Amino acid sequence: MLRELGLKGREHDLNGNAIVVDGVSKTFKIPHERKITVFEHLAGLVKGNAYTYEQFDALQDLSFSVKHGETFGVIGPNGCGKSTLLKVVAGVLYPDKGQIRLNGKVAPFLELGVGFQPELSAKDNVYLYGAIMGLTRKEIDRRYEEIMEFSELKRFESMKLRNFSSGMYVRLAFATAIQTDPDIMLVDEVLSVGDEAFQKKCGEKIDEIRRAGKTIMLVSHAMGTVGALCSRCLLMKQGRIMALGGTEEVLAEYTRITNEVSGNAAEKAEQ
Amino acid sequence: MWIVEYRELIKILTISDLKVKYQSSVLGFAWSLLNPLLMMLVLYLVFSNIFKATQDSFALYLLIGIVSWRFMANGTTSAMTSIVGKSSLVTKIYIPRQILVLSSVLSSFISSILEFLVLVPLLLILGAGISPYILLFPVIHIIYFMMVYGISLALAALYVYYRDLSQIWDLLMQMGFFLSPIVYPLSTVPDQYLGYYMLNPVTALIQMYRSTLLYHSLPSASEAILALSASAAMMILGSLLFKKLERRFAEEI
Repeated sequence: MLRELGLKGREHDLNGNAIVVDGVSKTFKIPHERKITVFEHLAGLVKGNAYTYEQFDALQDLSFSVKHGETFGVIGPNGCGKSTLLKVVAGVLYPDKGQIRLNGKVAPFLELGVGFQPELSAKDNVYLYGAIMGLTRKEIDRRYEEIMEFSELKRFESMKLRNFSSGMYVRLAFATAIQTDPDIMLVDEVLSVGDEAFQKKCGEKIDEIRRAGKTIMLVSHAMGTVGALCSRCLLMKQGRIMALGGTEEVLAEYTRITNEVSGNAAEKAEQ
Repeated sequence: MWIVEYRELIKILTISDLKVKYQSSVLGFAWSLLNPLLMMLVLYLVFSNIFKATQDSFALYLLIGIVSWRFMANGTTSAMTSIVGKSSLVTKIYIPRQILVLSSVLSSFISSILEFLVLVPLLLILGAGISPYILLFPVIHIIYFMMVYGISLALAALYVYYRDLSQIWDLLMQMGFFLSPIVYPLSTVPDQYLGYYMLNPVTALIQMYRSTLLYHSLPSASEAILALSASAAMMILGSLLFKKLERRFAEEI
């Protein structure tokens, strides 16, 4: 991916950082009445209730950086903004304030198999998905065999995707995505792919990528995964940074908060 | 530059768009050609018999007008929904979003070239002949492409926010058909309205296609300048608007 932000980062080198998040805020405006036509906008102007909305501050003035070769975990309760953060870093959402700087080629794993077309064969879909990830035809040609081998779907390469089981579907997607050779991987809880054997294979692959010195930013609920993979972690709550540091401390902090919340609830129940 | 980096994706999306349009068959393409030919036939019968049009080679005159207009009408109409129609490529992953618009317009561009190609044998059969000026066709068509692409960028971005734009645009395109010199010659437009009339950017282009293909002459310099500057303006305005609106696509879609 060659985003303007990424290019800028490449020039500045970012002092050995792969991702720099600098004062990023993101607010969603949720209108009371969603207007999606010209007519509704005009009608709203006449009635005078044109633009009332709720504000939801998904990210509030976040600043942190991820070093090259680091596996960085983002944890927090539901709705704390971790997925929004990942989408902002991936470039899907634009921050309202602040800046994201990236140094290197980014592959977002927000959802696997984006753009897959059920009417095309597995082979065509590999080429399509590779192209979406920014690969040229030659690059995909070179990696095709490996993709098919990793996904264990060589026999089905000319089968239409709509006849695939959901397990086969994600295997194909994961195998293709992993071959894009990114410098920075953004992963959103997609590690739970396929059956146990394939999960193990994926885990090994990610470990291999990690050891090859690539940067990984991982958003997850699975404390076990985060604990095993990440060297540093960020704990978020209501769009803010609660804790940032070594994985063990941050996980301990998260457990403390969770217990506090459930402790409070238990106390209330007793009363 | 995103066009170079994502050339493979642009190619795949354009081809799959064409495949859908022609249902992967030669017959599908024949059907799509039938539309302009029938349109020409009806208009020819009506205007030569009822309105007594006296243009030389009126059938070809009409057909060139219709085929050139179709690129604008079909190109912008299908590109308008290109962002909304592929929403997962906007909300689930980052690709330069212009790719979606570009590949849609490219597919219409290729369709349009094919339609013009069918025009060539008709030029010979109906006695108009072919001159070296036909070599200017690629240049004119690329200028036209830039115009359609610029307008499509603006429409596709606006459509994310205003979903009734498709109805409004349909209406504008219908009006545009009769406000362009397709069924009547430009010379019949009264002088006092000519200034406003020329604001329609397609007018100059239709004139240029006719000069080179039918009248075997160079397009007039004023038409060429008008078409070129209109195209450049559409490209710039369309890109600026797209850049601005693109920021909230993923939230609004």
